[in-house]
Amino acid sequence: MFGKVLFATTATPACDNAAHVAFNIAEKYHSELLIFHVLGLPSRGFSPFVRDARTGEEEYYDQDYIQWVEEELKNTYAEQLARYPNARIMTMAGTPHTEILRLARKEDVDFIVMGAHSRQERTGALGYRQAGSNMQRVARSARCPVLIVNRPCTTCLWYFSNIIFGTDFSRASYSAFLFASKLAREIGSRLYIFHALDLSAMHAGKIFSQEEIEDQIKAAKEKIHRIYLSQMQDYDNVEMEIWEGVPYMEILKYCREKNGDLIVMAHHTREIDPEEALLGSTVEQVVLRASCPVASVNRPDKIQEQRKTR
Amino acid sequence: MTQGKLCNKRPVNTEEELHSLLADKGGKSYYEEMQDLDVDASEIASILEKTLKSRMRTWLEICTHCGLCADSCFFFLANNRDPEQVPSFKIQSTLGKLYRRKGGVDNEFMRMAMDTAWSKCTCCNRCGLYCPFGIDMGVMFSYLRGICFSQGFVPWELKIGSGMHRIYRAQMDITTEDWVDTCRWMVEEHEDEWPGLTIPIDKPDVDIMYTVNAREPKHYPEDLAEAAILFHIAGENWTVPSIGWEETSLAMFAGDWEGARLQVESVYEAMRRLNPGRMVVTECGHAYRATVIEGPYWAGLASGKTPVETFHYVEWVVEALRNGKLKIDPSRKIKEPVTYQDSCNYVRNGGLGDIAREIMGYIAEDFREMSPCREHNFCCGGGGGLNGIGRYRRERNIGLKVKRDQILATGAKLVITPCHNCWDAVRDLEEVYRIGIRWSFLKPILLSMVEIPHHLLPKE
Amino acid sequence: MYDILIGPMAWVSFGVLMMGLVIRILRYIRGLDWKLDRVAYTKNISFGVKGALRSVVLWLFPFGTRSWRDHPVFTVLVFLFHIGLLTVPVFLTAHNILLKEKWGFSLWTLSENAADGIVLLVITTGLLLVLRRVALPEVRKITDANDLTVMLLAITPFVTGYLAHHQASTYGFWLYAHIISGEILLMAIPFTKLSHFALFFMSRVQLGMDFGIKRGGMKGKGMAW
Repeated sequence: MFGKVLFATTATPACDNAAHVAFNIAEKYHSELLIFHVLGLPSRGFSPFVRDARTGEEEYYDQDYIQWVEEELKNTYAEQLARYPNARIMTMAGTPHTEILRLARKEDVDFIVMGAHSRQERTGALGYRQAGSNMQRVARSARCPVLIVNRPCTTCLWYFSNIIFGTDFSRASYSAFLFASKLAREIGSRLYIFHALDLSAMHAGKIFSQEEIEDQIKAAKEKIHRIYLSQMQDYDNVEMEIWEGVPYMEILKYCREKNGDLIVMAHHTREIDPEEALLGSTVEQVVLRASCPVASVNRPDKIQEQRKTR
Repeated sequence: MTQGKLCNKRPVNTEEELHSLLADKGGKSYYEEMQDLDVDASEIASILEKTLKSRMRTWLEICTHCGLCADSCFFFLANNRDPEQVPSFKIQSTLGKLYRRKGGVDNEFMRMAMDTAWSKCTCCNRCGLYCPFGIDMGVMFSYLRGICFSQGFVPWELKIGSGMHRIYRAQMDITTEDWVDTCRWMVEEHEDEWPGLTIPIDKPDVDIMYTVNAREPKHYPEDLAEAAILFHIAGENWTVPSIGWEETSLAMFAGDWEGARLQVESVYEAMRRLNPGRMVVTECGHAYRATVIEGPYWAGLASGKTPVETFHYVEWVVEALRNGKLKIDPSRKIKEPVTYQDSCNYVRNGGLGDIAREIMGYIAEDFREMSPCREHNFCCGGGGGLNGIGRYRRERNIGLKVKRDQILATGAKLVITPCHNCWDAVRDLEEVYRIGIRWSFLKPILLSMVEIPHHLLPKE
Repeated sequence: MYDILIGPMAWVSFGVLMMGLVIRILRYIRGLDWKLDRVAYTKNISFGVKGALRSVVLWLFPFGTRSWRDHPVFTVLVFLFHIGLLTVPVFLTAHNILLKEKWGFSLWTLSENAADGIVLLVITTGLLLVLRRVALPEVRKITDANDLTVMLLAITPFVTGYLAHHQASTYGFWLYAHIISGEILLMAIPFTKLSHFALFFMSRVQLGMDFGIKRGGMKGKGMAW
C-alpha cells in the first residue's frame, strides 16, 4: 500500500509538514521514497530556460542547475535523509502537475504525498479544466491515493489510528472506501464512515422539511450498510454517522470529535466547473482547514491491483 | 580553417554532439568560439551563385529605397521608429552586401548578419505586403539564415533545435516510446470520464491523421487529450502516427534546410504508410507553414502539396462546427470581450483568416478585431524562433510592445491564440508588461462549451 | 549633330531599351526555379494567374492597396510623377511631329498647356520625393547616391525639354541637352533601378503567384493587398 511513495515538493517551507508526514510514513512502512521536485515552468517551449520554483528567477536548465537544485534538496531534507536514506531525489523541468502525474505513472507509485499550497502557476493561460492549483490537478487525475498535508499533524502519532472516510456515494467515493477500509484493516485502525447530508442548497432558498431530511438520512444509512458495511465482513472496528449541514464543515467537526488522523475522500472530477475551481470543492475546503492529512482517492487502480496480487 | 568544438559549420547529427552543446551554459563558450569562426567566402559565393536567383536578385537590385516597408515592421514601430529597423535597411546591409561582395565578408560581418536575421526579423512577411515591388524581406531573411547556418553562425538554441530534428525527428528529445506512452497516458487519465476514448496509434486508412507540436507531449499533454476528446465527441475516425507525428521545424527557423527536409519527410512517410483521408495539424502556426506550405518543396514534391490533403486545426474546427459534428451550447459562448491573434504563418501566409472569423462567430458573443488584423496583423513578437533564443531576449521583449498595444486597444481581456508561438509570446507579454489578460488555444474553449452527445457520457 | 542624335542615336537608344528590357524579362523568367523559390508555378497555373492579376492590378491603382492607403501623400506624389513620366514623352506634340516625320504616323497629342503643366508636375513631384528622402529619417537612412542619380536621370529630360521650349535664346543648347539626356534615360532603364519599368511587373507577378499558389491562395479568397 505504501510500497513506493512519491513525495512531490516545492522544497519550500510550505512543504515541510508534508515532508514530515512523507518521511514518517516511509519509515513506518519501509517504503521506497521518491523525493520529486519540478524545476519550474519550461519557459518558451523549446528554450532551455526554467523559472526556478522557489526564487522565481529565470535559470538555464542545464546540468549545473539540476545539480545545484538537487544539492539544495538534500540540504533541505538533510535531517530526514540521515534517518531514512532509502530515498531517491529526482527533478524534472515542466509544469508541476503534469510532471508529477507523469512520474507517478512511470514509476508506478502507490501513494503520493504533497503539500496543499503547491505554488499555483501564475498564468492566465486557459486550459480544459486546468484552473486550480497543482494539488487540485494531481488529486483529480492521479490513479493512486494522494495525501495532502497542509497543517502540522498533531494527531499523527501512529499513522493512522482513526481514519475518517467521508462519502457522497459517488463512484469515486467507492474507490476512496476501498482504500480507507483496506488501510484500516491492514494497520488495525478504527474506520469512521461518514456522510453529510448536503443542506447547503438551503442557502439558495430551498427548504427541506424535517420529514424530508429524516427520510434522506434513513436512505443514506441504508446505503452505507448496503454499499460499505457489507464489505467489511468480520472487521468490526467500524463506526458510521450521518450528519446534516454543509458537507465540509460537518466532516471537519466530525473529524475533530473523533480525533481523526486521516480523512479519506474522493476528489470529484465532475463537480468542478473550471470557473469555480479556485473557490474549491469539498475536498479543497477540507484540506485547507483540517488538522490532519487528507487522502484524496478517485480511482481504484492501485488498491485493487494489490488485492489481485495477494 | 578555424572551427570551434561547439560552434562550427557542421550540423548536429549525434546525441553526443547534442549533449555537449546542451552542457554549455547559455551557449557561453559557443558564442565565444563564434568570434573566431572562419568564414568561407568562396563557399558563400558558390551558394549565392547557385541559389540566389532572379527573384531575390531582382528584389535586391530594384529596391528604390522608398521606405514604405518601414512602418510595416513591428520592430521598427516598437523601437521608436529607429531607422536601423527599416526592413530595407536590414536586408540591404546584410544579404544585400553579402551579394554585392560575392561572399567576401569577415567574421564580424557574419555575426552582425546573424544578429540581424534572428533578432530583427521574425520572417512574418508583413513587409512583403507593403512594398510596391512585392519585395518580401521575410523570404530573404529566411534565406539569409540558411547562409548563416551553413557557416555556423546560428543562435545556440537553434543549432540545438535543428540537431534535435536531425536526431529525434522532433524539436525536443522525445522518442517514439515517449510519444506513444504519452498518448496512452492521456487515454488512461480521461477514459473514466469519456468512456470509449482512444488515441488510435498507426491505424491505417482512417479519415484523419492527427499530428502535433512536440511541446504538447512534452509539456502540455492535456492538449493531446483535449484533441482526442474533441475528435471523440465529433465521432471522427482518426489516428496518430507513431513515427512522423511532429509537425514543427526549428530546422526551418535555423535555416537548416537539410534538417527541415528530413523532418517533413518523416511526416510524409507516415502519410504514405497510413494512407489517411487527410491530415490535421494541431494549433500551431509555424508547424503548418513548415510541413504544409514549405515542406513539399523541401521534399521535392512538384505538386507543391503534401502527399495527402492537410488541414490546419482551425479548418477542422470550422468544418466540425458547420456540419454539426461539434455543437456549441449557446448559453456557454464566451460573453466577455474576446480577441483573436492571427498567426502570420497560417493567416497571412496560409489564407485562413476567414475561417478564424467564422469560428469566433460560433463561440463568442463579443468578438473584437485587433487593428490591423487578418493578413495585415502584426507578428505576435515571438515568431521565427525568436521566443526561444536567450541571446535576443531583450530585443524580443521590446518587440512585444506592438502586440501589447494592439490587444489593449481592443479592450478584450481574453486572447484566442491558436498557435504555439503566439500563445507563448502572449504569455511572455503578460509576464513582462502585466496588462491583465488571459489567453487560450481553441481546444479548451471548445471543450468548455460543446454539447456532449448523451451516449458519450459515463454511466454512473 | 542633330540628325545623328535623332537618327541613329535614337535608334540605338530605343534598341538598347527594348533589347535590354526583353533580356531582363527573359533572364528573370529563366531564373525562376520552382524548387528554390518554393512556388509550384506551372502545376497550379490557374491559381497563379489569379494571384498574379490581383497582385499587379491592385497595385496599379492609387489607393488600391493598404500600403497606398496608409501613405496617401506618398501615393499621390508617386502616381502623379509616374503618370507624367509616361504620358508627356509619348503624347507631346513635338514628339509626335517628329514621329510623323520619321515613321509617318502620330498619336493623339496633349495641348501645349497641358503638357507644360504635366512637365512641371513631374519636376515638382520628383523634387518633393527627393525632399521626402531627406526629411524622413527612415527613408534618409536607406537613401544612397544611386537613388538620387536615378531621380536625376529621370527628371533631367523634363527640365531640359521645358527650358528648350521656353528659353528661345538658348534653344539650341537646351534642345541638345534634352535629346541627349532623354536618350541616356532610355538606355539607362535596363541597367539601373529604372528597370523596374518592366521588373515591377515581373516581381509583382511572382509574389502574386507565390501567394496565389502556395501561401493561402488556394484556401482563402486571395491576398487582400
